[in-house]
Amino acid sequence: MVNILIVGSQGDYGLVGLAQRVGDAVVHYLVVGGDATGLERYGVSKAFIVQGVVDEQSLANAVLELARANNYALIISPINKFYRTAMPMVAQSLGAPLIMDVTDLKPSGDTFEVSFNGIGSRAQVTAGVKQPAILMAPPARFKPTEKPTSMSKETLQVKSVGQVKVVSTEEKARGGVRIEDAELIVSVGRGFKKKEDLQLAFDLAKVLGAEIGCSRPIAADLKWLSEDHWVGLSGHKVRPKLYMAIGISGQPQHLAGMMESRVVVVINNDPNAPFFKNCDYGVVEDLYKFVPALTNKLRELLKK
Amino acid sequence: MELIALVKLALDTGQLRVSGDKLDIENTPLKISDIDRNAVEAAVQIKEKVGGRVRAISVLKYGPVQKRVQEAEGLIREVLAMGADEAFLVADNALVNTDQLVTAKVIAAVIRKLGNFDLILAGEASIDGYTGQVGPRVAAELGIPVVTYARELRVDGNKLTIKRDLEEAVQTVEVTTPALVTVTREINVPRIPPLLQIRMAMKKPINKLSLADLGISLGSPMEVKGVSLVQVRRKGVIIKEGSVDDKVNKLIEALIQEGIITRG
Ligand SMILES: Cc1cc2nc3c(=O)[nH]c(=O)nc-3n(C[C@H](O)[C@H](O)[C@H](O)COP(=O)(O)OP(=O)(O)OC[C@H]3O[C@@H](n4cnc5c(N)ncnc54)[C@H](O)[C@@H]3O)c2cc1C
Repeated sequence: MVNILIVGSQGDYGLVGLAQRVGDAVVHYLVVGGDATGLERYGVSKAFIVQGVVDEQSLANAVLELARANNYALIISPINKFYRTAMPMVAQSLGAPLIMDVTDLKPSGDTFEVSFNGIGSRAQVTAGVKQPAILMAPPARFKPTEKPTSMSKETLQVKSVGQVKVVSTEEKARGGVRIEDAELIVSVGRGFKKKEDLQLAFDLAKVLGAEIGCSRPIAADLKWLSEDHWVGLSGHKVRPKLYMAIGISGQPQHLAGMMESRVVVVINNDPNAPFFKNCDYGVVEDLYKFVPALTNKLRELLKK
Repeated sequence: MELIALVKLALDTGQLRVSGDKLDIENTPLKISDIDRNAVEAAVQIKEKVGGRVRAISVLKYGPVQKRVQEAEGLIREVLAMGADEAFLVADNALVNTDQLVTAKVIAAVIRKLGNFDLILAGEASIDGYTGQVGPRVAAELGIPVVTYARELRVDGNKLTIKRDLEEAVQTVEVTTPALVTVTREINVPRIPPLLQIRMAMKKPINKLSLADLGISLGSPMEVKGVSLVQVRRKGVIIKEGSVDDKVNKLIEALIQEGIITRG
């Protein structure tokens, strides 16, 4: 029987579902944020609870120490910038592979067969990995089955390394959208010349009952929209019934986030925009003329 | 300041070649991973301000190595033209199909060979693997601090002040060199070197190294077994004729047929 460690907040317990694909395993959970209540329902036999705020390097050291003591075959964590920084350090120190965006896991002898999204999210890759290995995946992808067990809890004092000194932290604005769950998306790109012009897309989205998505520059560079609207390789993956891309060129890193949309509509005034090769319906037109006309017509039609 | 930029020669995900449903890696062209250009730009800007030297390191991960070396050198020339002084290209058949553990060990071996350094810069992630692990792995290998996702970087002697772009916050941190910093696309606009610079870059050295030159041999803990491309068939109906109203009507008809909207 192998030992597996999940590292994440209490809300990331979906990852236990990934661990369960190994079959018989002892599952430990390093809880970073939360008190571990309820984890015993999914068969977690031991919870280590981290007190206070930790930085990536300090967490990496703590995980490493646990890994050395308990000989974990797999260490599993969610995907965000904190773990994207901490876990590679753990992996390097353990001499272990780290696989990002894992979709499936099967034991095969004393190795594992792991499937994941790779090559800029354009491919499904399958690899054989030796133990120990580090796997990262979005927790919501997996549903742990209930197997109640008795769980012991231990608080873990993480020693702070303090090489990187945090001077200040400034919270970002949040739009409160869950673009991943949207059924209809109107997505905006740099074809919009000014922030105020986004109103054209907001009006259209309102008539359609759609959420607003955007390309990376709109959120990351121009900051016209909060990051929860950002679609793509480095943003959110979406799978709506309708994805309407307005003034977005269709670079592979944007496509990586919306490949699973059912119907893709592209509005762009450049007939050579790469997005036209990846759409169901492509309208070659100036968005400033087309979008208001479309909104008006839809408003009449849908009686809104 | 002794600056090092890590430059991945990545698969050009905009030009993936396919055979059947498999990705044809050997025939897919390489490009400089976009965000690594930002890393080079950041390094060159620091050099321009405080003086010093920029050395670039690339580890060739895709075969056939024989054929790729020339392609790789052409790409590295661009980095030299941007202002890097010298480049190190590790090319070895044993590196094809290895994972990031190996990449980081090789990079660290090159850096140890180069001797002293102050700051290593890398992109937040490559466009192909997009795992972002090589930066932190190299830092761990060398036992130096790492700061990821820098969108602003200030150098004051041996002190670095960095704004990190995290999901929910912008964090300002301080660290002293030696350190490794990964940068975002938003940190700067990489320069496009003029022709003269590109010609001048022909004189700058590209040092080719094998694993034997580095005195290391490595095994990968991961073996890729299959890569199948996610291919989606799209209808590709292009609406370009007629007036704006004609186009609006055509699109609305299509949306009705697709069952996306229904007449009210
Ligand atoms: C590692 C990495 C990760 C990345 N991650 C992401 C990601 O997650 N998401 C993402 O989106 N990008 C991402 N990018 C960036 C990506 O490569 C592109 O730079 C970006 O998607 C371009 O955004 P855009 O299409 O809005 O802008 P542009 O490429 O500038 O395109 C603007 C488009 O608007 C059109 N246009 C202009 N005026 C009009 C008009 N009046 N009417 C109609 N159309 C008009 C133009 O023809 C053009 O096609 C990433 C890049 C890297 C290197």
